[in-house]
Amino acid sequence: MSENGQELELEALERQLDDAFETTRPRAGFEDELWLRMQSSRPAPRRLRDAFAGLWNGVRAVPAVPAAATALVLIVAVGVGVFTLGGLGHPGGAGSGAAGRLSAPNAGQSFAESFGKVPTPVFNGGPKPTTPQQTTAPATGDFPGPVRLQWTGTFTLNTTTAPVYRYHEPSAADSDQFASALGAVLRGRPDGFLGMYSAADYTLKVRGTIASAQSSPAYFILSGPNLPASDTAGGPQAAADVFLAQHSLVPQWPYTVAVDTTSDPVKVVYERQFQVIGYGPAYLLNSNGDHYGIEVDLSANRVVLASGMLPVNFDIANYNLVSSADAINAALATSSTAASPAVPLVQLNHAEMVYVLVPAGDHSFYEPAYLFTGTLQSGGQSYTKRVLIPAIDPTQRS
Amino acid sequence: MGIERPPFEDMYREYLGRVYAYVRAQVGSSADAEDVTAQVFMNAYQAYERFETRHATPAAWLFRIARNATLDHFRAQGRRDRLQRTIEREPQAEDDPAGRAEERIQYRALLARVAELPERQRDAISLRHSGLSFDEVGTLLGCSEDAAKMLYHRALKALRETVQKESV
Repeated sequence: MSENGQELELEALERQLDDAFETTRPRAGFEDELWLRMQSSRPAPRRLRDAFAGLWNGVRAVPAVPAAATALVLIVAVGVGVFTLGGLGHPGGAGSGAAGRLSAPNAGQSFAESFGKVPTPVFNGGPKPTTPQQTTAPATGDFPGPVRLQWTGTFTLNTTTAPVYRYHEPSAADSDQFASALGAVLRGRPDGFLGMYSAADYTLKVRGTIASAQSSPAYFILSGPNLPASDTAGGPQAAADVFLAQHSLVPQWPYTVAVDTTSDPVKVVYERQFQVIGYGPAYLLNSNGDHYGIEVDLSANRVVLASGMLPVNFDIANYNLVSSADAINAALATSSTAASPAVPLVQLNHAEMVYVLVPAGDHSFYEPAYLFTGTLQSGGQSYTKRVLIPAIDPTQRS
Repeated sequence: MGIERPPFEDMYREYLGRVYAYVRAQVGSSADAEDVTAQVFMNAYQAYERFETRHATPAAWLFRIARNATLDHFRAQGRRDRLQRTIEREPQAEDDPAGRAEERIQYRALLARVAELPERQRDAISLRHSGLSFDEVGTLLGCSEDAAKMLYHRALKALRETVQKESV
């Protein structure tokens, strides 16, 4: 080959190298994770100083991700009480003034005018007992028999509509994409799962919606022997936070955190909420009536299992709600008609809006519902009585 | 007189991708590249208050840390172990669609060839194509600007021969 030809070849190779280096970038989320790790590795006074410096220099065009991360760290550093209210990312309680937060859809969401009539949720006879930290003290479980119901609480709704969320059933390709983003490699597609994957120190399984159990699409990370022990000096929640951040699994939705240290493994649950304008955050309930979202289980300072809702894109449409008065009447209508004094009387005294999964084939829904609760004593035991009522106007349900 | 030291956040934002690409070309696996890149910026973050722009440009300072971290990585792991681990992490082509998709990325193979070059040649190409001037490359490799140019061109020719052999 002529010298000129060789030079041209080298120039072409240089252009390829330029392209190769310019297109080789870390996975999405790595930048944010690393920044948070760096921030958390510094002494708090320095973080605060930098954060305040960032505030003074607010008009300067600073990088979005680091600035957001700095703000997060600032909140962690000075946010007294944030943890006690529950959760790093989007803490809040009912009536916390969330109106307006849904002025624009979040990433992975789009608004639709309507989905037509949506399927009516089926509650399988009502939710089962809640976990101990979620019930008020003496209650031990749901009362199994018939009860007479009486409403003694106050339930006022400041909204007449609430969003319904619809998602398309995730495919094996969606599952592969999720796993790939985590750096896990496909190992097979066992029955009941969209995929099973392996990474250096864990196994990942992903499954779709389970209609019979009313279970959301989910992932399960089962730690392997190589998974390093977590730094639990900050407590189980801090360890779970770090694990999720390291794997780009920090919830992107509002949540509170519940920690159950009464058993081994210790469970850290990031309880998902849906924001309803005019109401506030509404918890998502599973078929057992438990709050859910993501759960990180720790045993002997190691994460042994992390499971959570598989991220899916939502279409959102607002639907008219049953009024609070009609909802109370519907709840009381489930009361036993027996007049016998042997049938205990339960005073329902609390009502809240919740969300439930309504599986419906290719597309499933998260729909609002009303949860009424009260307690009763029977045979020396304390029980909870809970009644779930569909919240969407019956004319908009099939 | 050096230029004003930029805010670390700005430097982080500007160089993260380039440092990652540099490291990725050295270590050959994305998992290791993330680990090393994280170490680079953790080290840089700790040392940033001592960084003086009159002694080096931000790029040269950062890539020096990146180069040291990469060498530390090799020393700690041992090349044989690293290679073995890389193989174990790599997907089997026949049962891994994600891996096959990754293989389709146009320049993956080229970076793998760069990773196989002798250390100084690999460094010269990686640093140069990470945006450093020959002067900066020479400073990092402990040689003059002209020597860095020669080293780079030798590396380029060696890479071309490797690529040509692969395609035969």
